[in-house]
Amino acid sequence: VACVKVSVDRARCVGHGRCYELAPEVFGEDERGHARPLHEEVAPGHEAQARRAERNCPERAIAVEG
Amino acid sequence: VSAPRDPHEFNLFDSEFARCPQPVYARMNAECPVSRQALTGTPIIARYEDVLFALRHPEIFSSEMELQMALGTERPMIPQQIDPPAQTRYRKLLDPHFSRKRMAALEPALRAQANALIDRFEADGRCDFDPAFAIPLPCSAFLSLLGLPQSDLELFLRLKNGIIRPALDRYDPESALRIRKESGRQIYAYFEALIDERRARPRDDLMSELVRLGPEGEGLSRNELLDICFLLLLAGLDTVTATLGCNVAYLAANPVQRRRLVEDPGLIPDAVEELLRWETPVAGVPRVVKRSVTLGGVTLREGELVTLLLGASNVDAGEFEEPERVDFERARNRHLAFGGGPHRCLGSHLARMELRVALEEWHRRIPDYALEPGATPRYSPGIREVMHLPLVWPA
Repeated sequence: VACVKVSVDRARCVGHGRCYELAPEVFGEDERGHARPLHEEVAPGHEAQARRAERNCPERAIAVEG
Repeated sequence: VSAPRDPHEFNLFDSEFARCPQPVYARMNAECPVSRQALTGTPIIARYEDVLFALRHPEIFSSEMELQMALGTERPMIPQQIDPPAQTRYRKLLDPHFSRKRMAALEPALRAQANALIDRFEADGRCDFDPAFAIPLPCSAFLSLLGLPQSDLELFLRLKNGIIRPALDRYDPESALRIRKESGRQIYAYFEALIDERRARPRDDLMSELVRLGPEGEGLSRNELLDICFLLLLAGLDTVTATLGCNVAYLAANPVQRRRLVEDPGLIPDAVEELLRWETPVAGVPRVVKRSVTLGGVTLREGELVTLLLGASNVDAGEFEEPERVDFERARNRHLAFGGGPHRCLGSHLARMELRVALEEWHRRIPDYALEPGATPRYSPGIREVMHLPLVWPA
């Protein structure tokens, strides 16, 4: 089974927080409220969440691959 | 006979535009991505990609401008009217205090305040939504955030209005500035006293935490603290008031959409996002051009004041599928209602929490409401506050 990977471009993220709101199993937040992936590889069953976060990031800071 | 209207000019301060801006936005996006303000001739940037570019490039589109002093402040407001890299330092200090987690701590108090307001008029079967609910609730949240007594609510509303809407029988810029400066002085004096008080007797509140950040080392000076307080007061109250009014006016006029929220309150967070997109109560933000740049086929010159029209970007068909449809289950919603780039609204997590809690409690308590028969809601230009929104419901 191919695994899905996520990343956050830290140069682009400014802390809108849409991703950790919409995909709490995939993204967390640092002290400033900027996003970070909880794990590089998305756990099975959470792929749809990851893609939803990607579609709702105003800064296009999220990449979902695989 | 009035002169033929220039199709590339728009009056953003027209009250009809404020009431229903979306058709105008659609025309801008389709026909003139860079148009002009009717009275001043200053450029208006409409399209999503152009606005996002401008938001992300503060070295070209600066937030540092003369205009800022027209609001009765003695210095720029922090961090809104400061460019990176100085702005970055402030955001690093402030962002942790406005994170989603921190704002969640204020939720129970805000829910209680929303219910206390509704208690006052629920049995009447009617209210004027703006003064009865949309104005006091964000002010309550502001007081809780800073750790101030709720008894100061009237005082803060008066000071804020003195700046934003100076009370004058007939508007003239000189008198308006005089009232603004006087309100500004009172705001400075109030926060000066508060800084001293929290420095002497720290509590578990934002003001004490901000004071603790200064003035030594990497902390904040007294003036910096004052310039932050000024921003919190001016940016944090009217914006949420306007958003609540726009949302409830929409839902009063669209009972099928409202019914869905009443039956499934779990939809409210997504409805908040979609209504932020559709209504974009903070319709535009100003920037000043630092060096010549071509955007949407138009060359903007150094020193020009421009409006980034977030509301138009948020209905741009180049970004949104069927932008004219209000869809609470929109799959892709990258709206710019809170701006974007380094100046992304500092209070966005607070605003989202306030909007969600307000819509949850309102619809739980008053699910069936309508605009008073014969009434017309009145929207203010600039920040689209619905200043007259009389509602009725079965009491």
